[in-house]
Amino acid sequence: MLRVLTLFLGLLLAVPAFAQSSLYDALADQTAGLKKPSSKTIETVISGLQDSGAPGVANFLTKLQSKEVWYRKSDDKFFFVATDDKKTYRLIDIESGEVVAEVAKKEIKQIKPNSGVRAKIDGALVAFRLTDADPAVRDAALVGISRDPKAKDLAPLTAALASETDPDLKARMERLSRILTVSFGDTTEARVAAIESFDGDLGLDARAVLNPLVTTKLKAAPEVGVDENVAKTLRLGNDISEEEAFALLVASGLAQAQPTKDDIKAALKANIDGDTVGGVMVADLGTDEARLAAYMALAASGEVPAILTSEAKAELLASATYYEVYAEADPAVTAAAVEALSSISTAVGVSQFIDLVLDGISLASIYFLAAIGLAITFGVMRVINMAHGEFIMMGAYTGYVVQQIIPNYTVSLIVAIPAAFVITFAVGVAMERLVIRHLYHRPLETLLATFGISIALQQIAKNIFGTQARPLTSPGWLDGALVFNDVIAISWIRIAIFVLSVIFFLGLLFVLNRTRLGLETRAVTQNPRMAAAMGINPDRINMLTFGLGSGIAGIAGIAIGLFAKVTSELGSDYIVQSFMTVVVGGVGNIFGTLAGATMIGFLQKGIEWFNPSNTLAAQTYMIIFIIIFIQFRPRGIIALKGRAAGD
Amino acid sequence: MNGLLTKFLLKNPSVLVFLGALALFTAFVSVGSEAFGWGFISTSFVKTLGKTLCFCLIAIAMDLIWGYCGILSLGHFAFFGLGGYMLGMWLMYARTEIIVQTAMSNEVIPPTDQEVIDAIGTQIFGVVGGSDFPMIWAFAHLFWVQLALVVLVPGILALVFGWLAFRSRVTGVYLSILTQAMTLALSLYLFQNDSGLRGNNGLSGLQNLPGLDDVSQDIVSMWFFWASAFALGLSYLLVKLITESKLGNIVRGIRDDEARVRFLGYNVEGYKLFVFVLTAIIAGIAGALYYPQAGIINPAEIAPIASIYLAVWVAIGGRGRIYGAVIGAAFVSLLSTWFTGGQAPDIPLGFYTIKWVDWWLVLLGLSFVIVTLYFPKGIGGLFDRLVRKGDA
Amino acid sequence: MKKLLLASAISAVAASAATADIKVGVLHSLSGTMAISETTLKDTMLMLIDQQNAKGGINGEMLEAVVVDPASDWPLFAEKARELLTVHEVDVIFGNWTSVSRKSVLPVIEELNGLLFYPVQYEGEESSKNVFYTGAAPNQQAIPATDYYLEELGVEKFALLGTDYVYPRTTNKILEQYLKDKGIAAEDIFVNYTPFGHSDWSKIVADVVALGADGKKVGVISTINGDANIGFYKELAAAGISADDIPVVAFSVGEEELAGLDTTNLVGHLAAWNYFQSAEGDANADFIDTWKETMGAERVTNDPMEAHYIGFNMWVNAVKEAGTTDVDAVRSAMYGQEFPNLTGGTAVMLPNHHLAKPVLIGEIQEDGQFDIISQTAEVPGDAWTDFLPESAVLKSDWKDLGCGMYNTETETCVQIKSNY
Repeated sequence: MLRVLTLFLGLLLAVPAFAQSSLYDALADQTAGLKKPSSKTIETVISGLQDSGAPGVANFLTKLQSKEVWYRKSDDKFFFVATDDKKTYRLIDIESGEVVAEVAKKEIKQIKPNSGVRAKIDGALVAFRLTDADPAVRDAALVGISRDPKAKDLAPLTAALASETDPDLKARMERLSRILTVSFGDTTEARVAAIESFDGDLGLDARAVLNPLVTTKLKAAPEVGVDENVAKTLRLGNDISEEEAFALLVASGLAQAQPTKDDIKAALKANIDGDTVGGVMVADLGTDEARLAAYMALAASGEVPAILTSEAKAELLASATYYEVYAEADPAVTAAAVEALSSISTAVGVSQFIDLVLDGISLASIYFLAAIGLAITFGVMRVINMAHGEFIMMGAYTGYVVQQIIPNYTVSLIVAIPAAFVITFAVGVAMERLVIRHLYHRPLETLLATFGISIALQQIAKNIFGTQARPLTSPGWLDGALVFNDVIAISWIRIAIFVLSVIFFLGLLFVLNRTRLGLETRAVTQNPRMAAAMGINPDRINMLTFGLGSGIAGIAGIAIGLFAKVTSELGSDYIVQSFMTVVVGGVGNIFGTLAGATMIGFLQKGIEWFNPSNTLAAQTYMIIFIIIFIQFRPRGIIALKGRAAGD
Repeated sequence: MNGLLTKFLLKNPSVLVFLGALALFTAFVSVGSEAFGWGFISTSFVKTLGKTLCFCLIAIAMDLIWGYCGILSLGHFAFFGLGGYMLGMWLMYARTEIIVQTAMSNEVIPPTDQEVIDAIGTQIFGVVGGSDFPMIWAFAHLFWVQLALVVLVPGILALVFGWLAFRSRVTGVYLSILTQAMTLALSLYLFQNDSGLRGNNGLSGLQNLPGLDDVSQDIVSMWFFWASAFALGLSYLLVKLITESKLGNIVRGIRDDEARVRFLGYNVEGYKLFVFVLTAIIAGIAGALYYPQAGIINPAEIAPIASIYLAVWVAIGGRGRIYGAVIGAAFVSLLSTWFTGGQAPDIPLGFYTIKWVDWWLVLLGLSFVIVTLYFPKGIGGLFDRLVRKGDA
Repeated sequence: MKKLLLASAISAVAASAATADIKVGVLHSLSGTMAISETTLKDTMLMLIDQQNAKGGINGEMLEAVVVDPASDWPLFAEKARELLTVHEVDVIFGNWTSVSRKSVLPVIEELNGLLFYPVQYEGEESSKNVFYTGAAPNQQAIPATDYYLEELGVEKFALLGTDYVYPRTTNKILEQYLKDKGIAAEDIFVNYTPFGHSDWSKIVADVVALGADGKKVGVISTINGDANIGFYKELAAAGISADDIPVVAFSVGEEELAGLDTTNLVGHLAAWNYFQSAEGDANADFIDTWKETMGAERVTNDPMEAHYIGFNMWVNAVKEAGTTDVDAVRSAMYGQEFPNLTGGTAVMLPNHHLAKPVLIGEIQEDGQFDIISQTAEVPGDAWTDFLPESAVLKSDWKDLGCGMYNTETETCVQIKSNY
């Protein structure tokens, strides 16, 4: 690569008289590389163009990057292309900027640089862009450097730093220049100083530049080389096992590889003589011992390489030194980097833990949201509503339908939340009136009947909306994440879900403990007859409470749909977990649901943390844990006592 | 013993009626099959019928635990699936072993035992990205052990789970939800590739019996049909024997008022555990008979929804009367097959065409609500009413 | 009860008695979880059959489609396949989507000597005498995409994220070995499996971002299936990960899947397929026009549809050549069949029952379509991957060797029937 470049430069320098002034001429030389740009060849093309000294190269490259450059199939001439209707295409001359022709799409072909090529163009344009008047372009230049830091960027960056006025950009430039200095600084002192400036820094870019400095390579040699920056010498048997050491010897050419079982088999097969090999009958070679014996016999007669005896192997192993050597040659730099990284890793560990806690809170609030409706219908009223999940689903689909009608995401969300509440409230009330009312004293049958409703609702949703997931898009202000540093970040949508669950929690506490409805609900739940005698209409209260629980599930559905997906199976994904949440937490009590959701959320995240490669396992272990947990606290974390405990 | 059985049968003529009907039905199918008769019942339909018999078998178990003992278990399909897996492991191993040994017998150098096992492992787990045998396959090559495991694994799981649950007095809906969680945990576990049972792919090709490649599926499917019918008849008899005995009375007592039975001095937990384990074993046997007919078993079969459908069958058929469970399972599952198979005619309404494929589940769900609300005794209840009218 | 049985049995007999000219079985789920993907393929098949009948059928005989619904239920696939072959007596079956459904029908198809065309990209490591695989094998999708990462994007560290089932497991196993062969250290390969429909992606996305801490360029290879992609891409967008920093190439995300997503935050992420709707060419334009005319303007086309298009046309030509629909005759006539791809170039049916097809890599655009940025020459599909030691010695050649699993080292046929 470098050789091609120098050759190219050399050629250009040798014939300065022919230095091209026309961009078209310069492009003509690079036609092949431009028509099918590849990141392997684009650098040659770019430097060719830049060295030609033709005007407008930077503009051309910028347009190339944004896929605005096309070529005409008939003569391979390059144009900028614009189109309004995707039927006729205007060809714009790349030098004059004027429209020269209108053609059909068939006659031209778009050049599509991939992101590797685009990054290379970014890199090439750094010096040019750093001093651009437009802050956005300067920003792009910084991004370009940070993606692919190169030694040649340091000087222009330092120069630009002095003249930068935008404080934000200036800070980033300053940081970037320190990062470049770590790898490409002129003196050891400058580099060490830059490294030390990153002590305890959580930035991913800082770790990205420091870590390569301390990468080591495992080596085996008779003795340590003179100018090698050794990280650690390994003791045979303690730091490195004999097999690893021997493999290292083989890799460094200090020992001969030993035949594997497959090698032995192949060698035997190649040396079959009649029906024996090395004096052993072929038919008897069905055991490893017989094969080894036959191989030894062959080795004794010199037909195959011998297997090392264990003494010879031990001698070989003892003859070499095993050590780790830094890729970076300067010991002062590596020492500083090791120190900086150790301070960083402590900070990263703390941050990761905080991030995990945030994840746990987020998952807990999702479980809480999914279960809160149940906490009312199941927890307070003791109605097993297996169709609870379907209320969540209905809420989510309401959000989707509203979004189809009202294209503005913010407005549609504001409309969808009450709409979801009203619809699921109505369905909940209808269900209570038609079905559940008749089954208050038969809980197992409520379970079955509501399960029938659940099947029916799910299938109806499938018939209406299809089985494909439907989009429920969050408004722009919920996009992105709240970033504390490069380790701790949490998306706004999760924060919104958390806030929503807090609102629900406080709201329900208020409704149940401080309002007439809450008082009556509790009265009806504890003793319906007595409540009726006190002038409360239990039918009405049951209806309203069930409606409230269902309506809340509907709103939860919108939140869950925004965060994940809207499908007809959305509800059934959460139903078992929701029941678990309520049961584990303790029935009949909003605090219990909160405790249950918190425990389950944190538990799942904790298990995921220990076993990062398998999320499925985390879920399995969590359920098993819950089953066992319920054995010891059958009434949940927060168990009601006395009369309120009911049965 | 023989005398006792005769006495029992004489006292319960309905058992004789059932066994007779089952025998007649089996004979009818045999005569109609492609393998041994005139062939007006296709082999694929014989398989469907055989599988339906297995569903009836597990429905009997469900009725015993729910209808008689009052425990609404939403986990019996987990035992069904485990039974299937246990037999499936042997079927896969033995079949693959034959293939591997045939292939290796052509090699110049005879293979070592380890090489044979490795090759079998590669064949079985190669498709799911592995090649080593997990621990749980330790007995897969031993037919009798795996056969014993068909009974032991569901039995022991039920024993441990039931002991834990009954001991801490988890009852009613809590127990239902707990059994559902158990099923979910098991199916999630089996969905993992690391479970060692081929994850989502499960065990397949189970209809091909090892060493019997030359026997046509027409015949094999009849064998399994007979086996299923036999197991159904035997279990019916067994369950009837239990429910008509003193034990049955205590179990019914527990259903109606657990506390009272306990105060009478009975070990309620022990009885419950006995019924739970027994039904789990019946479910396991049903599964072991079912999956070789279905051809493939995978974790989706164990998903909680399957166990709930089981409750649906029994409820529609009528709880607390064993034949009700059989009728419910046969009726609903065959109807499901018919409606979802696309054979049922669509109903055009002009503005909208009702496709049974789409609307069958809605109908099932709603009819379930109606049965629960208005016919808590199910189809069996209608039967009873007719019989009683006849008596009067 | 008895009546129902008799009725069913009799209707079965009646169905088999009525014979049409040539029967084409369509075995795609029309209900259940896979319905959304597979219904499209059923519609594609009906469209192709109609087109062929409009041209006068095959050898003067008209085609009749027999559509059954296996309802995304894997055992039901086997049952329905048996029904198609024995009751309806179809001449060929086009069907299946998931690997597990294919494994379920394999024994039935082989027992009854049927013919199945399977149109979806899959994990390979299989070659049945009775199945033609018109979708991509791993070397026609995963390997070229990985090469693209290594060569064009300079990715040095890989996150292999997948749903926990056979296709991602096998693909990732092959890729891990391939990457190691290419000099990527084992600690630079991060593998994670999630359940179907997984929605809580924050931890995994954070883990992927953290991979960049040692200064190596990170790339994600995603074999995440179905709905789970929505949550994954939403989390990716929320974390502000640009495709230029951490690109994601997906093997199971096509035009249909993107329809359920807002793609503005995903622009630049990648997918690898053998076909994209955006491919330029007259054949593709015609195909898309007919499709939209039949099904509606908002419908999109995708890779498995092209696979059925190629498979069906090859089968038609093979039947014409053989002059019969007899499975063995058609099978022999299939080898070497050529048919133009919709993306340009020609697909060839190889003796290992796989196709030679070009591999395309596309960047996601704002309109939910893909911008094709790389297209290879035709890659011959490989039944047994060359990148795993135990499969490297295997090859499939039904034409000359008559064996789907031939061990080239010991020169023996390991098995003729598949082990499912």
